Formats: sequence, C-alpha cells, structure tokens
Amino acid sequence: MKIGRLAYILQFVMVSVLISSSAATASAQVEVVKGRRSFGVSGFAGDAAIAGQVTDVLKNDLRLSGYFALGPVSSAEFVQTGTVRGDRANLTVECMVMQQATKKVVLSKAYQGSAQDLRRVVHRLSDDIVQTIAGQRGIAQTKIAFVWARNGVKELAVMDYDGHNPRQLTYDRSISVRPRWSPDGRKIVYTSYKNVFPDVLEVDLYTGQRRRLATFPGLNSGAVFSPDGSTIALTLSKDGNPELYTMGADGGDLRRLTHTRGGESSPTWSPDGQTIAYVSDDSGAPQIWMVGRDGGAPSRLTVSPSYNTEPDWSRPPSGSDMKPMLALTSRVNGRFQIGVYDRSSGAVQPVVADDADNEDPSWAPDARHLVFMKSQRWRAQLYLLDVVTGEQVQLPAVEGGASEPAWGP
Amino acid sequence: MRKKFLVQVILVSVVAAVALTGCKSPFWKKKSGAAAGAETGVPPLGAGGETGIGERPMVSSAGALQHGQFAPVLFDYDSARIRPSEVSKLEAVAAYLKSNPGKLVIEGYCDERGTAEYNRALGERRALAARDELVKLGIDASRISTISYGKDRPVDPGHDEAAWAKNRRCEFVVVNQ
Repeated sequence: MKIGRLAYILQFVMVSVLISSSAATASAQVEVVKGRRSFGVSGFAGDAAIAGQVTDVLKNDLRLSGYFALGPVSSAEFVQTGTVRGDRANLTVECMVMQQATKKVVLSKAYQGSAQDLRRVVHRLSDDIVQTIAGQRGIAQTKIAFVWARNGVKELAVMDYDGHNPRQLTYDRSISVRPRWSPDGRKIVYTSYKNVFPDVLEVDLYTGQRRRLATFPGLNSGAVFSPDGSTIALTLSKDGNPELYTMGADGGDLRRLTHTRGGESSPTWSPDGQTIAYVSDDSGAPQIWMVGRDGGAPSRLTVSPSYNTEPDWSRPPSGSDMKPMLALTSRVNGRFQIGVYDRSSGAVQPVVADDADNEDPSWAPDARHLVFMKSQRWRAQLYLLDVVTGEQVQLPAVEGGASEPAWGP
Repeated sequence: MRKKFLVQVILVSVVAAVALTGCKSPFWKKKSGAAAGAETGVPPLGAGGETGIGERPMVSSAGALQHGQFAPVLFDYDSARIRPSEVSKLEAVAAYLKSNPGKLVIEGYCDERGTAEYNRALGERRALAARDELVKLGIDASRISTISYGKDRPVDPGHDEAAWAKNRRCEFVVVNQ
C-alpha cells in the first residue's frame, strides 16, 4: 500500500484496515430519508479510461440504489469528487462526498484493487455512500443467481446485481432450475434433472462441490433455506402428492407439513423463521397459504386475483423499521404481474403490471428492490424493480433467456 | 467555530482491501476452480433406498427414454383431472404392462403459461393422476415412477392454443431392466 503517497492529501486520515466482505463503516450518518437526494457526480481525476469507467459504474450504482437523483453538480445537495491513482494492477480510487450547503465532508475514503475488479471496487464505494447518506444497506455488492436457458438446456448462473459478469455455475447440459441462496451466501440449493429425475442438489460456491439433498421418488423441488440456515423447506411428492416438507440443512430430520389433495409448492420462510408461505391449489386455483414451521393447520392468505403463485418474503435488514413484504406473481386478464400482499387488508397490490408477463419476484437484501423475469413475445429477461419509486430497469440481456432469479444475501 | 472545525475533520478513511483471503473466496474470485461437473461422493439422502411410491428405474440419461410407444394423455388448462376421453389411452398402457415386464415412467408436462415452480407441481400432479388411474386398472404402483418437467420440453414449440393443448400432457415410457 502506497500510504506515503497518499498521506499528503490533508482530507484523508488514513486508517489502514483490512475489511472483509461485510464492512461496517464508521462514518457520518446523515438522517434517514425516504425521498431521493440530489447528487452530483463530478467524476475522477487520473487515467482517463479508468476514471471514465469508475464514473459510469458509480453513476449506475447510485441511480439503481433508488436513494439519489443524479443531476448537475452546481445544484446538487451532495457532490462527489475523486481521483484514480496507480496502474492497472494496483489501483487506488479515492473519493470524497460533500454536502454543499454545509461544506461538510460526509465521506472520504480510498479503495484499493486492480483494473480487473474495478466494478467491485466501485460497488463498495457506492454502498458506503448509500450507508452514509441514506443510512441504509446498499445492494451494489450483491449477486443474483438465475436460470440461463440457451442451446436447449437450462444451466444455473450467477451475476452481479447490475447484470454484469454473468458466470455459468453448472455444465450439466440438462435442466437446472429454481436456485435459492443460503443466508451466508456460500451455498445454492436448486432442482437438477441431471440424473433424469428432478432432485434437490446443493452447490458450495467456495469449493464448487455439489451434494444431493433430496432424491426421493417423484418430485424433489422448491428447496429454500430458513433465515438461520439450519433448515430447508421443499416440495416432495414421495407420499403420492406434492406436499411441503422440512429437513435439516444436513439432509436429515425430514418432516411433513401439509396434508391436502391439491399440490403444494414454492415455500418461502417468514423473516422470523416461524412460518412458511407457499402455493396451494387445494381450493381450486393456486393461492398463497401459510403454515407454521412445525406444521399445524394452514391458513389461507390470498383470495384474489384468482391465481397467485411464487411468493417471496422480504427480509428487512436488522435495525431497519421496514415491514416485511410478501411479493408474488398474480394472473390478471391472462397476463402475469408482480404484486405485493398487504397483510392488513388481505389484498394484493400490483407493483409490475404491463402488457408483458412478469413472474418470479425475488427480494434484494435491502427489502426495497426486486429482481423478476419479464417475458415479452416469449423471450424472458431479468429486470429490477425499486418498489419505493416504482422504477423498472432491464438488466443487460443474456444470450438465450434468463428466468427464475434469486437475489443473494 | 467548533462546527466549522468539525467540518474539516474527516471522520474515518479506510483503505479497503478488496481482495479477500483465499479460503473464503467464492469460485468467481478465484483464478481457476469453476464448479463444472464436480460432484463429490456424498451419498444421497437415506442411502440405499429412499422411501416413497414407485422406486426409480435405472435410467442413464433422459435421452435413453424412448417416447412415442403410447399416445400422450392430454389435460385441460391448469388441471390434473383425467378427462373421460383420455381413459382409453391409459387402458392401452395398462394392457401392455399386464402382458409385458418392465417399469413405467410417466412424464408430466404443462403448457408455457403459468409460473415455473407451480407448473412443476402441476406436471407432477398430472403424472400422479395418470398413475392412480393405472393402479385402478390393476397395475402395481411400485412399477411406476414419475417425472414432472413443468413447462420445460414442450412437444410443440408454438405459442397458441393448438400448441398448448398438445403440451399439457403425460407421456409414457417403458423401461426394461
């Protein structure tokens, strides 16, 4: 680290700390606000090519965060300045953010990396700005798993939250679908047809190793980790009908939760881990139901529209005053749309309703953004939604089609 | 005065070391080590015989399943009910199984409308409904196993009611082993 070279900058009090993935930044916490704050990005001095890239990624991150309205520096409440130093192998990105009216420097920080992981470096910076000014957990460093359909097969893939750096996880030339993350972000459980029958497999992202979690006769699918990571809920049909079960994350202690004539699928754990919402068509058309983690009498949540599936509970960050929300996919007039279930009224509020089919919502860990699949003329791509502003953003399209996204922790 | 002084004080500046330590790195942060194909020898759950109806036959790949021997049983939209018009197709399957050895794989499929995981459960319910009908016709349930493909692998790639009607189906594959 070239500390000596940096030290002359008066504004920078250098504290050299190695921080791992979840850095808690000690910084000035400006008030928490719901509205968007005006923000001017003046860019970065230094190598023009690298500085331009850093600026572009930062602007995109700040825009996607939902907390900022980017505009001219002259009239912005907050203004960013910065410098890029070093060469491509050893880069330092220095950034300062000032509140113009008070001349108060709210963030001043340096980040090290290489040109190769420039996007990751800027994502850290963006999350620090979101934390400092909005007082919220940013999502710029998160990942999204999804199903990548091309050449007649479906493989699992993982990409950055902004759709960049898509990487294929499986190479089975089969059907790999419905990924869900472990709470620590280390593992993904999913449904694989690589051994002909649909099984629940788990892949460890650090080692690349896989193991079979559920290979019962019939359907093994829809696996999802409990918030504490100890338990997996899933759908099995081994007893003659698709029903909900739980099992330990180590594969033992199988328990059956539902007993119906209809089909149960798509479990999602409530943030406290005490209940599981899921889809059942026991009453005819598919609707969202809820059952305790140890079973008991299920209760029906949704009544209308006449088709509600793929529920996903949001998990507000700890310490946040946000309420958990249940996102789902409804069918209305033959079209699929994303809705949010309102517990107090029992109604489903549409949040993405247009002339496309919008399906498979998955919450970001900020409990504010959703990733979902939009299918237009039967071509499926992924979009982000900011539920506060209602803004939709299409992620960079992948070759073939992308579906069944799962936002990582 | 004090306020102005504070303004000048930078709170904390951290050199963020982005590179994480090796053993905690997901595969995408490593130079090599894609997850391709690696599967360790962890035995399946309940090694040596999971319980449930219809033991799985040994099938090496989905391509080894020979389709077309029997007419597919078709379904109404969003329904797993066996239509009276389809029963004769199941009777033909049952007649074959009564006079021939082997196991039967029933594949349940849906049309492309509807959400993915819900359709996996629906396809399974279609396959199980066909199985239940075959059991009524005297076939031992232990000879039958099911696969739901949900809305994957349509037989007709079209996007209209004619294609959808063909895709809402069960297919029957005999596996001799």
